[in-house]
Amino acid sequence: MLRWVVPLVCVIALAALPLTGDDVLIQYGIDALLFATLAQAWNILGGFTGYVSFGNSSFYGLGTYGTAIAMAQLHWPFGVGLALGALLAVACAVLFGIPILRLRGHYFAIATLGLSATLAAIIANLDISGKNIGLILPLTRADNAFYEEALLLLIAATATVAWIAKSRFGTALLAIREDEDAALVMGINTTRYKIAALALSAFFTSIAGGIHAYWITFVDPAGAFDLTLNVRMVIMAMFGGPGTVFGPLVGAFVLSTVYDVLASSISTAAALLFGLVIVLAVIFMPRGLWDLAGGFRRDGARYFLQNIRAHRL
Amino acid sequence: MSTVRLLQAMSLTKRFHGLQAIDDVSFELWQGEMLGLIGPNGAGKTTLVSLISGTLEADGGSLFFEGKPIDHLAPYERAHLGIGRTFQVTKPFPRLTVLENVAVGALFGFGGGVRDLKEAREQARALLEFTGLAHRADQQGDQLGGPDRKRLELAKALALRPKLLLLDEVMAGLNPSEIDEVVTVVKKIRDSGTSILVIEHVMRAIRSLSDRIIVLHHGEMLAEGEPNTILADPRVIDAYLGKRRA
Amino acid sequence: MLLAQILLNGVLLGGLYGLMALGMALVWGVLNIVNLAHGAFVMLGGYCVYFAFAGLGIDPFAALPIAFVAMFALGYVLQRYALNLIVRSAQLNTLLITFGLDVVLTYLAQLAFTADFRTINPSYAGANVTIFELTLPLLRFAAFIAALIFAALLWVMLQRTRLGRAIRATAQNLTAARLYGVDPARLYALTFGLGVGIAGAAGGLYGMVSQVTPYIGATLTAKSFVITIMGGLENPFGIVLAGIVIGVIEALASIYIGPTFTDVISFGLLVLILILRPARSMRTA
Repeated sequence: MLRWVVPLVCVIALAALPLTGDDVLIQYGIDALLFATLAQAWNILGGFTGYVSFGNSSFYGLGTYGTAIAMAQLHWPFGVGLALGALLAVACAVLFGIPILRLRGHYFAIATLGLSATLAAIIANLDISGKNIGLILPLTRADNAFYEEALLLLIAATATVAWIAKSRFGTALLAIREDEDAALVMGINTTRYKIAALALSAFFTSIAGGIHAYWITFVDPAGAFDLTLNVRMVIMAMFGGPGTVFGPLVGAFVLSTVYDVLASSISTAAALLFGLVIVLAVIFMPRGLWDLAGGFRRDGARYFLQNIRAHRL
Repeated sequence: MSTVRLLQAMSLTKRFHGLQAIDDVSFELWQGEMLGLIGPNGAGKTTLVSLISGTLEADGGSLFFEGKPIDHLAPYERAHLGIGRTFQVTKPFPRLTVLENVAVGALFGFGGGVRDLKEAREQARALLEFTGLAHRADQQGDQLGGPDRKRLELAKALALRPKLLLLDEVMAGLNPSEIDEVVTVVKKIRDSGTSILVIEHVMRAIRSLSDRIIVLHHGEMLAEGEPNTILADPRVIDAYLGKRRA
Repeated sequence: MLLAQILLNGVLLGGLYGLMALGMALVWGVLNIVNLAHGAFVMLGGYCVYFAFAGLGIDPFAALPIAFVAMFALGYVLQRYALNLIVRSAQLNTLLITFGLDVVLTYLAQLAFTADFRTINPSYAGANVTIFELTLPLLRFAAFIAALIFAALLWVMLQRTRLGRAIRATAQNLTAARLYGVDPARLYALTFGLGVGIAGAAGGLYGMVSQVTPYIGATLTAKSFVITIMGGLENPFGIVLAGIVIGVIEALASIYIGPTFTDVISFGLLVLILILRPARSMRTA
């Protein structure tokens, strides 16, 4: 019961943010919320099964373009656009997932890498998607609506992850992560669970893409299928704590803030420092902030040494 | 002895890159029996178990379980039918607790397992009691010592509620009193109706456990029969000790 | 353009690609590190040779060993004091840390060298020889030969020297190698240094046939991935061959479909290979 007080307070505080009227803050908020959703969605497959997907930017792009095509070319409403984007993304996840999820670790990651590049090229050549020029969506309402929608999406994604963490489905995913061969002989149809996780991941990712598209009212292949997006969501999830419910949120918010602060004060060096932060984080806190919080409370500074000792050559 | 054939292997073969690991192996396992599988290191015993559990696919021959072919079934499908195995090199789920490790088996085992997490945990707890791991229920899988790892392997396999249990050297590395404990537990498992294929090097354990023994050497069936006959068979002794000098 | 000419251009470029991929494959196969910063090291090697040539007047081919040594040193230090600390961590962590490294190196390069395009243009850059109606650009041909020579040297080193045997032993079984007296920390550092040194040399060659900017790393990393998987991790000849295949495919695609598609085609091929015929070691089921 008490566990839910802090998240509830956070949700209320976040929902009330637009009341401040600070446009810059609201825009930062939308961005941060969407990124948090991306990290959380990635977490479903990456954090729980350990399968690192670099293909989430594909689902993001499909969500973006599904919404854009629906609204700009077909003049359908926003909700339908989001649904179209989600449908495309989930279909892609299942179709692509069936052959690709049979691959181990690195190979799966690399195969998903190829997906984004390929999809971007296809989209860049279709008339309905505006080819390389992109599409312009109808201009609309205030940022506040987008903010609350993004918040709602994040809550939905987090609630899903919370359910996964306590469900039979989630246990299967964790078993796959911990030892796939053992999971197989213990009766888990690993491919089916991996595909389901990928599909869920694709769903939330695509909706975030759709919201983003309508918000900035412009889509183009390079921006929609941007691979650096995928890397950022991976880092946020890993930095925060993969396989946990709140880790990716914490990671996303912390890193978004860090990056924005650095960018505004030191600009060019921001990316440099960001890279350094990643390197140091992997060495000293490979299990993410969430684990760090618990570990630091238990063991203090020795937590860092323990990590190094456990993972060094 | 039961007359129901639970498992039948016919002319199984398996190659690895030029090494014939299993060469034309045929045998039967009857319902309710405890079949011992022995042979020197490298004979192919674990490979054979992996072929039965589905972890590896045979290059030739066929496998029948309860009269039905299972050659193309995935490992998880065979688990649902009632085949459970332990791994010689133990494979606990490292960051799950001991209780959760065993609960996985209950959740996804025979017939697809149970749906309810609480029920699975209760089944797991009972199995931890049975295998003497109850006091470690909340420890992480990768924090257990050698003998406890073996117990966990056993508990996990039992959680599947298997009809056929494949035990791969569950007694390796145990001291004599621990071995006796395991022998008692395995006998209880058999008495409750589970058929068992047990691979062991510990001869006195095999002798006291097995109804029959089959011997593997260089991937081929060397002999099969009653424990006392087999263990006195000069061919078997030669296989273990190497050819005696004339 | 004659099909044969296109093929020739592709083969010449492909040789370089093969060498570049060998560097990644070495690190991947021995240390199980997928180096997302690989392209950045190629890029740095390119700058090494560029500055040796433009600043000190050293012939680019003579500067290749300099690039190799410089990158080797960098790689050695990185592995010894940073990467060795996470070697036994989850595979994902090596991806992440090398990604972080890539970001750092790219931005350092941008700060130091600006985003200007650099080309290495020795006096003989434009020289051609015509054989059977085919134009053979001498510089590219020399680069191709140099790439093959480097690859051959690597192979000889791995097969015939004590260090090479130690590396191969470590790749197969670290524990056993340790028992034979291999110092893993130094050996890992040497191997990574070697892989990165090769990347640097390939970068120098790349600068002779194309342009160097701080941003070429990402595409080259991706290309090296594709080539490594196509060629097969344990198969150096396969990798060089795959490099040549990719070079040819790029050349063909560039003419017939359009230059923007070259990456897509390599990736598409990669995905197809992974879907249709993954080696058993790549699969879980």
